[in-house]
Amino acid sequence: MAAAGSVTVALHVAEVLETIVSGCLGPEGRQVLCTKPTGEVLLSRDGGRLLKALHLEHPVARVMVACVSSHLRKTGDGAKTFIIFLCHLLRGLREITGKEKDFFPFENIQTCGRHWKNCCQWKFISQALLTFQTQILDYVMDHYLSRHFLSIFSSGTKERTLCRGSLEMLLGAYFCGRVGRNNHNLISQLMCDYVFKCTACESSFEEVLEIVDDCFVELKVGVTGLPVSDSRIVAGLVLQRDFSVYCPADGDIRIVIVTETIQPLFSISGSEVILNSEAQFQTSQFWITERTKAIVKHLQNQNVKLLLSTVKQPDLVIYFAGLNGISVVECLSSEELSLIQRVIGLVPFVLPEASSQYELSHTALVKFCKPLILRSKRYVHLGLMSTCSFTPHCIVLCGPVQGLVEQHEDALHGAFKMLRQVFKDLDLNYVTQTSDQSCTSGPRIYKNSRESNELPKIANSSIQRSYQDTVVKNKGELAKTQTNLKVCSNLIVPSVKLEKNVLCSTPKVAVTDSYQTDETLRYSSPNKGRIMDDHEPLIENNSANSKTENTRKEISYENLQVTKLARKDSILPLRYKSLEMCTSQSYYFSSIPAGCVLPVGGNFEILLHYYLLNYAKKCQQSEQTMVSRIIANALLGVPKILYKSKKGNYSFPQVYVRALQALQTNQPMKSNQTGLESVAGKYELLTSVLQCLTNILTVDLVINIKRQPQEVYDQDSEEEL
Amino acid sequence: MSRLEAKKPSICRSEPLTGERTRASLAALRGLVTSCYGPAGRLKQLHNGRGGSVVTTSQSAALLAGLPVSHPVLKVLTAAVRNHVACFSDGGLFTAILCCNLVENVQRLGLTPTTVIKLNKHLLSLCTSYLKSEVCACRIPVDFSSTQILLSLVRSILTSKPACMLIAKEVDHISTLILRAFLLTIPENAQEHIILGKSIIVPLKGQRVIDSAVLPGILIEVSEVQLMKILPIKKSDSFKVALFGVSLSGDLSDTGEGTLLVSYGVSLENAALDQLFNLGKQLVSDHVDLVLCQKVIHPSLKQFLRTHHVIAVDRIGVSLMEPLSKVTGAWPIGSLGSISPSSYGSIKDLCIAKFGCKHFFHLIPNKTTICSLLLCNRNDTAWDELKLTCQTALHALQLTIKDPYVLLGGGCTETHLVAYIRHKTRNEPESVLQDERCSQTELQLITDAFCSALESLAGSLEHDGGEILTDSKYGHFWSVQANLPSAVNWPDLLSRCGCGLYSSQEELSWSFLRSVRHPFPPQTCLSCEATGSASTLTLDCFTAKLSGLQVAVETASLILDLSCVIEDTN
Repeated sequence: MAAAGSVTVALHVAEVLETIVSGCLGPEGRQVLCTKPTGEVLLSRDGGRLLKALHLEHPVARVMVACVSSHLRKTGDGAKTFIIFLCHLLRGLREITGKEKDFFPFENIQTCGRHWKNCCQWKFISQALLTFQTQILDYVMDHYLSRHFLSIFSSGTKERTLCRGSLEMLLGAYFCGRVGRNNHNLISQLMCDYVFKCTACESSFEEVLEIVDDCFVELKVGVTGLPVSDSRIVAGLVLQRDFSVYCPADGDIRIVIVTETIQPLFSISGSEVILNSEAQFQTSQFWITERTKAIVKHLQNQNVKLLLSTVKQPDLVIYFAGLNGISVVECLSSEELSLIQRVIGLVPFVLPEASSQYELSHTALVKFCKPLILRSKRYVHLGLMSTCSFTPHCIVLCGPVQGLVEQHEDALHGAFKMLRQVFKDLDLNYVTQTSDQSCTSGPRIYKNSRESNELPKIANSSIQRSYQDTVVKNKGELAKTQTNLKVCSNLIVPSVKLEKNVLCSTPKVAVTDSYQTDETLRYSSPNKGRIMDDHEPLIENNSANSKTENTRKEISYENLQVTKLARKDSILPLRYKSLEMCTSQSYYFSSIPAGCVLPVGGNFEILLHYYLLNYAKKCQQSEQTMVSRIIANALLGVPKILYKSKKGNYSFPQVYVRALQALQTNQPMKSNQTGLESVAGKYELLTSVLQCLTNILTVDLVINIKRQPQEVYDQDSEEEL
Repeated sequence: MSRLEAKKPSICRSEPLTGERTRASLAALRGLVTSCYGPAGRLKQLHNGRGGSVVTTSQSAALLAGLPVSHPVLKVLTAAVRNHVACFSDGGLFTAILCCNLVENVQRLGLTPTTVIKLNKHLLSLCTSYLKSEVCACRIPVDFSSTQILLSLVRSILTSKPACMLIAKEVDHISTLILRAFLLTIPENAQEHIILGKSIIVPLKGQRVIDSAVLPGILIEVSEVQLMKILPIKKSDSFKVALFGVSLSGDLSDTGEGTLLVSYGVSLENAALDQLFNLGKQLVSDHVDLVLCQKVIHPSLKQFLRTHHVIAVDRIGVSLMEPLSKVTGAWPIGSLGSISPSSYGSIKDLCIAKFGCKHFFHLIPNKTTICSLLLCNRNDTAWDELKLTCQTALHALQLTIKDPYVLLGGGCTETHLVAYIRHKTRNEPESVLQDERCSQTELQLITDAFCSALESLAGSLEHDGGEILTDSKYGHFWSVQANLPSAVNWPDLLSRCGCGLYSSQEELSWSFLRSVRHPFPPQTCLSCEATGSASTLTLDCFTAKLSGLQVAVETASLILDLSCVIEDTN
């Protein structure tokens, strides 16, 4: 099998997958019915599940599916977009290579055959892709895109609190792509209620999400045969089994957990019991009975009303428990046990060795404990009193068929994964190379001025000059954004922050920067005013004297503080600028803060497309320009499909042109759709796709092996060692 | 070692509904369920050439359970119906027919799934909110002070299952029995939460249906051999009962995981038997009259108990344990050592009864909510069908207690709903059009499809080529024989509407159901006199029908939304 046509082959595969997947994408997407080998049917719109259900044989397809599933493990979303984006990238690559034969420097190597030449060519491209992914993408995200970000956290307080409206929009958009269109409103509303009901205090969403994500299987109950609209949330924990003994009890109920049988065993494993007479046997039986009775009696004396057991208890225990008014639930799974332990912090009760009196310390209280009947099946319903920030609630999911219930379960679980991801910061790091001509010039000028030593004015003016230079340069380069001085000022921020020497000019730039972002995104005025006040004296300070190194450092320190303060106070500004300086000056660390979102409907794609094209225009290295262009164009694939069925004013070309106009004139983009999506998720998706593409491109030969796959004995060898 | 086997790639088909195969199998399923529907429905005989019994039925539960379905789309449909039946017992055929009709009707239109699903959902909510509202004219509140409505409900369920092979007299008998059995399960002093008891259906095949009976308490079948050993029961006011959950067979109980070394000459069996005798002695000294055991009682212990005039019955089985515990008030004993006196129960009377060729212990309780329904029918298949029907009826009664309404049956609810929807969408379409962003034509098309699905559902009650009419005042369902002369006087031909609420002498005007009619507002707000005057009505369970309607529309939307089918061929 030759790799000569690797892009063509990969494109064929990707196109086939795209046709399947694109039918399910977005709010207009439809359902797919999968049958399992067991004969069950499953409804799904989950890209990952569909790709797995296809059982693909083609090697390239298998690589793609593997990449998708590893991406899904990380983020829980974006499988369909992954395939579509990959397909468009491959299409773009083939067009380029078909057109520009002389583009590649490797073309002149005559000794290699055409096939190897091709391979080199692909390798070259994949390296360019890798460079793009590691450097340019982060740079563009940080510098251009970040000003458009919104946050799902509500403003006003210092702590991050989740705003219900934004959460609804985020979840609504997510479920639009995951569940059938007559149910997504209901499910997203259900999930939203669930999240808020489960969270005891507003600042502990992350913890709650972690628990729910980990223990989701235990927190949902699927019921078939009822209409979906009967789905609801019940307070407390529902265990999917019935009571072995149920004794109704009122008020607060004390519970214990046991992990072994209460009845002592006649003999334990590994031991020998020698019986010399019948009486001996009878006595030991009698002792066992009496001891069991004593333990249960003791539990009753301690006012225990419910016994949760991970193992099956013998009849004797059940009998005595029933007599003493203790309800018993047996055979709890280890997951259920760990969930209960996590929620109420209860340690299993250890049976004492001696039969003497002992203290029962490990008990807890529950509010109620009663049977719950769903579709004539009985469940145990516990009103746990939480000791952590998670207030236990269960989701009862109804649906006419099992396949639909499972789809909703999967979608909900995925949504919790996605939310967890949203609550994390995403680090960006990049090396500035191309765009920072000003960056290199700035410090140089300043060094000169520092050599002249006592001329802050000149220094200042030189910085001024460099500043204006960049402006002019940028003006020249960004033909379309001529009017946009703010963009330019943004651009300079890193450059001026580079050297401590330059720091005296930092406040000014930083202030204008934060101030202007404030203005462009229309944030509340009181904050703005205060920021200005804070900054004014500092600026004066700087312009007045920059003689001693010490003051400079102080100022710089304060400046940083101020910028941080400004970030905290403004409402939805997501200029999360904590640029730190590394040993090497051109390395940057920044991050997409937690909770960053953009409106749905291809907003992210169009924005990135726009800025990448701009970047490509400025860029001098040809291969980078090319790669940026390809990616920028491929990005449009997703919104194209999303707007496919729309007509007139809402068709894709119209939306696209409007968005570009808005960007050029620096006005906010208007979106006709309600709904938000996570930026971090999109970013992760983009990097995963690029990695997958490099993966596909770098392979030059596929070797087909007919032999049975061999097992890997990794663990065994470790044990032997 | 695990077997590693490469999986075969799946088959992926796009647009599954447009294919000829799907259309044909959907039509086949529709034909099958439609022909079973209603009192005049045709029976189906399910028979497996490899063996097993032959099933004659017209109920969806039995029909779909035995029907092998291979097409994935139909699998979804039948699974939905079966789940509905598992939840509500009633309304399976209703759901299946409506769902098939909806899919076929909408498929023909060729509109985009988004519009279809949105509008279907809207029409459904129109129906459900009307059915739940106070002005609804096809819903009757249940008056628990008389049995009339409940009896009508049970009768309607019984008559709609022709495979039970009942004649009119038998229907009357069985329906009163069912209602009596149900009333016996209601506790006398009801508090906030009513916990209903249980009616245990006891099979008695080969007897006349008229011999069926309802008895309070529990019947335990005993063989004739067992009966010989049992002494004549002494007369007493009350009997003390011990109920054992643990085996009394004298085998060694769990001895743990270790090894057991037994010295020569020591017999553990004897030790265990000794223990049993001690237990027996305790029972005797506690004056227990009746010992019931879920598992096996050792013959020696049985003998011992018999000599002390204690009746012992073993092998009761786990299913009777809970009712027995309820009836007697005894706690299932799990210990061989010591028995707490509080775990004994009591019954009022105990007698041996003979029904047909079977002998039973009859435990007559003091006061409980458990009763036994002794059900007879001529042959096995008819008995199976009757049992299923009785369960359905009992379940329907339970659901009616929860939500005390019944719906008009006999097709009247459907035709009335159609009249309501048509009127509503014709006269007040603005609200829909604004909310759902669709055009007037689209709304009209979907409304027609939805209404004609409901109409042909009502029409499938007629199997003998008759014509179906609807009146223009109430929007009810009327059927006439086939082959009528062209000019007729309708009031003479028609007697009562499908549900039996209105008679034809009321100055109504009729038109054919399938003809084009002008939308009219059907009369809302059912008057009390109307329901009071009619003696026998055909009624349907409210909860089951409402949920069936929702499930049918939801499933149809689900099927219409499919863009492709991936079949795993492994």
